Amino acid sequence: MTVATTLNNQRTASGRNLFALLRAVPWTKTRRGLTIPLLLLFSWWAVYHFGWTKSQLFVPPEKVWDTAKKLYETGYLGTSLYASLQRDIIGFVIGTSIGLLVGTTLGLSRFFENILGPTFHALKQVSLLAWIPLISLWFGLGDAAKVAFLSLAAFFPVVLNTFEGIRSVPKEFVEVARVFDYSRWQLIRRIVIPSALPSIITGIYLALLYSWIATLGAEYLLTSGKGIGNLMTDGREHFWMDQVILGVIIVGLVGFALNVIAGFFERRVLAWRGGTTARFE
Amino acid sequence: MKLSVKLNLSPLRLVAALLFATGFAAAQAEALPKVIRIGVASPAVGDNIYTTGSIGIAHHKHLIEDEFAKDGVTVEWYFYKGAGPAVNEALSNKQLDFAFQGDLPSIIGRASGLKTRYLFPTDSRQNLYVAVPPDSTIQSVKDLAGKRVALSKGTNAQLPTNRLLDANGLTERDVKIVNLENATAQQALATRDIDGVFGGFEYLKFRNKGQARIVFSSAQDPRFSRRSGFLVTEEFLKEYPQATVRVAKGILRAARWASDEANRDQVFELWSKMGNPADVYREDFLGFPLRVRLNPLLDPFILQRYKEAVADSFKYKLTRKQFDAEQWIYPTVLNTALKELELENYWTPTDSSGKPTSVKTLASR
Amino acid sequence: MSSFPTLVADLASDDSLERAAARRKRGQRIGEFVAALHSALKRFALAWIFPLAVLGLWWLAAERGWVAEQILPNPTVVASTFHELWDSGDILNNLGISLLRVLYGFVAGALIGLALGISIGLSPVAKDYLYPLFRVFAQVPSLGWLPLLMMVVGIEESLKIILIAKAVAVPITINTYQGIQSVPTRFIEVARVYGFNRWQLLRKVVLPSALPPIWNGIRYGMTHAWLALVAVELLASSEGLGFMIVYGRQLFQLDVVIAAVIVVGAVGYTLDKVLALIEARLLHWRRQSF
Repeated sequence: MTVATTLNNQRTASGRNLFALLRAVPWTKTRRGLTIPLLLLFSWWAVYHFGWTKSQLFVPPEKVWDTAKKLYETGYLGTSLYASLQRDIIGFVIGTSIGLLVGTTLGLSRFFENILGPTFHALKQVSLLAWIPLISLWFGLGDAAKVAFLSLAAFFPVVLNTFEGIRSVPKEFVEVARVFDYSRWQLIRRIVIPSALPSIITGIYLALLYSWIATLGAEYLLTSGKGIGNLMTDGREHFWMDQVILGVIIVGLVGFALNVIAGFFERRVLAWRGGTTARFE
Repeated sequence: MKLSVKLNLSPLRLVAALLFATGFAAAQAEALPKVIRIGVASPAVGDNIYTTGSIGIAHHKHLIEDEFAKDGVTVEWYFYKGAGPAVNEALSNKQLDFAFQGDLPSIIGRASGLKTRYLFPTDSRQNLYVAVPPDSTIQSVKDLAGKRVALSKGTNAQLPTNRLLDANGLTERDVKIVNLENATAQQALATRDIDGVFGGFEYLKFRNKGQARIVFSSAQDPRFSRRSGFLVTEEFLKEYPQATVRVAKGILRAARWASDEANRDQVFELWSKMGNPADVYREDFLGFPLRVRLNPLLDPFILQRYKEAVADSFKYKLTRKQFDAEQWIYPTVLNTALKELELENYWTPTDSSGKPTSVKTLASR
Repeated sequence: MSSFPTLVADLASDDSLERAAARRKRGQRIGEFVAALHSALKRFALAWIFPLAVLGLWWLAAERGWVAEQILPNPTVVASTFHELWDSGDILNNLGISLLRVLYGFVAGALIGLALGISIGLSPVAKDYLYPLFRVFAQVPSLGWLPLLMMVVGIEESLKIILIAKAVAVPITINTYQGIQSVPTRFIEVARVYGFNRWQLLRKVVLPSALPPIWNGIRYGMTHAWLALVAVELLASSEGLGFMIVYGRQLFQLDVVIAAVIVVGAVGYTLDKVLALIEARLLHWRRQSF
C-alpha cells in the first residue's frame, strides 16, 4: 500500500463513498488521463475556428496533420528522420563502446582511477552543448562533427555508471571469488560484470537518451545537412508553426520509442539475473 | 659569409623560379583533383538550391561543372546557414578548396591563420540596411541608442555596422546588440523581439510587405557598404594552379553574363528563386550598372576597401592581428582567367573612391 | 568477576596504564592522520598528472606548430585571454547574467516540480488527471521544445527562464512523486497510531522519508538547468557565458571559446560540489541513524 492510497482510504473512510464507487470503474483512469489533453486540443481547435486569434503562429491541429502527410509524401520527413536516427545510433555506439572501455578501466584499476578519474569528473561538469563550438572548429559542420558530439554525449553517462557499478560490487563477492581461487579474468567475468550489470545498463540507457537530445543540439548548432533538428529550425525560421509542432511530436515519439526499446533490452539482459538470485534464495 | 652565399645562390634560384613559372609548369600537364569543394557563405534555399551573386549564377548554370565536364572532376557545393564564420570553420578543417565569403569573415580567417588567398571580388558594393518595425519610433541610426538591435556577429554586416555606429557617435555597447543569424533576426523583427536589425537587402522584402521600415541604407552612403570575394586555399592553389584558373573562369563567365544589362531581368529572376522577389534586387541595385557591382577587377577601389577592412577589423577588436591585404590577394589567377576568356577590357577599373579610371589593376605575381 | 563500578575504579587507579594507552591512541591517531594525509596528497598529485601531461602536450603542439593556431591556440594565449577577459569584467558580467537566469529558472522549476510531484504523489485523482499529460510533456526534451518556445515567447529572458524551469521541473516532479510513493507503509501506520492529521503526516512522515529521492531530483534539476542554460544561450542570446562561446566562435577566436568553456565547467563543478555539501548536511541525520 502506498501513501497515496492510504491517504485516500482515509478520505473514503470519512464518507465519500461515491468517489470509491467511481474509482472502481476501470475506465475512470483513462477518462481522467484524457480529460486535460482533450480539452487542450479542443481549445486549440476552437481558438482557430472561431477566429479568436489572428496570430500567424496559430495553426489548426489539422494543418499539422496535413503538413505531416505532405512532408511524408515528398520524402523530406523520411530523409530527415533517417539522417537524425542514423547519426544518433552511430554516435551512441561509438560513445558507448569507448565509455565501457574507459569505465571498466577506471573501475578495475585504482591507478587509472587516480590518474584519470579527477579529470573525467571535472570534464563531465562542462555543460554538454558548450563542447559544440570546439567540436565544430575541430571537425567542421558535417556528420563527422555531429557524430563526435553525440559520442561525447553517450560517453559520459556510460563511463560514470560503469565505474560506479564496478566499484559497488560487494566485497563479499570478491572474497568468495578469492576463496574459489578465481583468476582475474574469471573474477571479472563471473563476479564483476554480472553484479555491475544493472548499473552499466543504466548508463547505456542514459546514453541512449542523451545522444538523442544531443542529436537535436548538434542539428541546431552545426547547421548543415538534414535532420529533425534542421526540420524544426527551418520551420521556425519560416514561421511554419505546423512544421515546428510536427517536429516536437516526432522528437517525443522517437524519445518514447527509444525508451521502450531500451526498457525491453534492459529486461531481457537482466532477466537471467533475476533467475540466479532466486536460486540462491 | 652568409650574405655572399645568398648572393651566389639567388640568381640561380631566380632562374629556377622563372623556369618553373613560365615554361616548365605550363608544359607539364598538371594533375587534376578528383573533387573540387566550394563553400558558400549563404544558406541554400529550396530543394534545387538557389543563391545570389555571380556564384549563384555559376552554380545554377553549372558553369564550373562545365569547365571540368570532360575531365570527370566532381564539383561539390556546400552552403552554410552560419554564413562566413561557418565557412571559416569548414576551411580550418580542410573541408573546402574554395570559399565565397564576405570581407570581414575572410579577413578574420586570414588573421587567425587560415591559409587562404584572395582571388577576386564577387560583389563589390553590397548594401547594409537598418530595418525597424513599421510603427517604431526609431527614425535614424542615432535613435538606436539603448535599443535591442540584431546583428549577425562576425559576418560582413559587422564592419559597416561598427563604422555606422561610430559615425553616429555610438558604440556596440550603447546599442544593445543581439547576436542573431539572419533568418532568426528576420523572425525576431516580425515578432517585435528586437527593436531593429542591421542586415541586407532582404529587409526590403519585409518593408514591401508592410512588416518593416528602412531607416538607413548604405545606398545613400557607400562608406558603409560591404563586399564579398572568392578565395582559394593555399594548398589547392599550390597543387592545382591551372584548375584554380579554370574554376575562376567558370565564375567569371557567370559574372560576364550577369554584368550584361540585357540580362538584367533574367539575372534578378534567377536570384529571386532564393526567396526574395526580383523587385527587391531591382531596388538594391538601383543606381549601379550590373557591371559595376559585379566587377571582379582587383582595382584600387577593392584594394583600398580591403586595406581599410583589415585596419578596421583590428580597430574594432574583431581581429588580433593586422596583415597586408595586398600580399594576401593573388592576382595571377584573375589575370590569367580574364586573358583566357578575352575579358581583360570588359570591366572598367575604379579608383579608390569608386570612380571609373584608367589606373592599372593589380599585376600578376 | 568484578562489578562494573569496581572495574572503572581499577582502571582509573592504574594511571600509568591509562596514560600509555592514551599515548598509544594519540600516536595511532597521528599515524592515521599522516597516512590519510599522505594518501590524500598522493591522490591529489596523481590527479594532476594527466591534465598536466595534456597541457604539456598541448603547449608543445602549439609551440612547435604541429597544429594550426586556429585549431588549437597556445595555452599561454588562452591564459592571457582569460586574464584579459577577467580584468575587463567580461567573464564576471556574463557569469552573473547566466547565474541569475539559472537561479530564476531553477526556483520556478523547483516550485512547480515540488507542487506537481507532491500533488500527484498524494492524490490519485490528481495523478489520474495530470500524470499522463506530464509524461507526454516530459517525453520531449527541453531542446525539443526550444524552437517552439522561441516562436511563442520570443528570444527574451522569459524564453531562458521557461526553458530552464522546464528542465528543472521534470526530474523534480518525477523524483518527488516516486519518493512519496515509496514511503514505507509502516511509517504511515505508526503515524496513524499517533493520530497525526494529514498535514502532520505530510510534514513529519512523508516529506522526511521522501527527502533523499526529492533531493536527488533537485540535483538532477540543477545539472539539467545548467545544460539548458548553455543550450539556450548558444542559440539565442546577447549576453551570458553561452553568448561568450558563440561570440568567440563567430569571430573565430578559439581562445575566447576555450576560456568560456573552462568557466562553464568550473561553475558546473562548483554547483555540483555545493549541492554535495548541502546533501551531506541535509541528510546528515539520516546517515547517523544507520
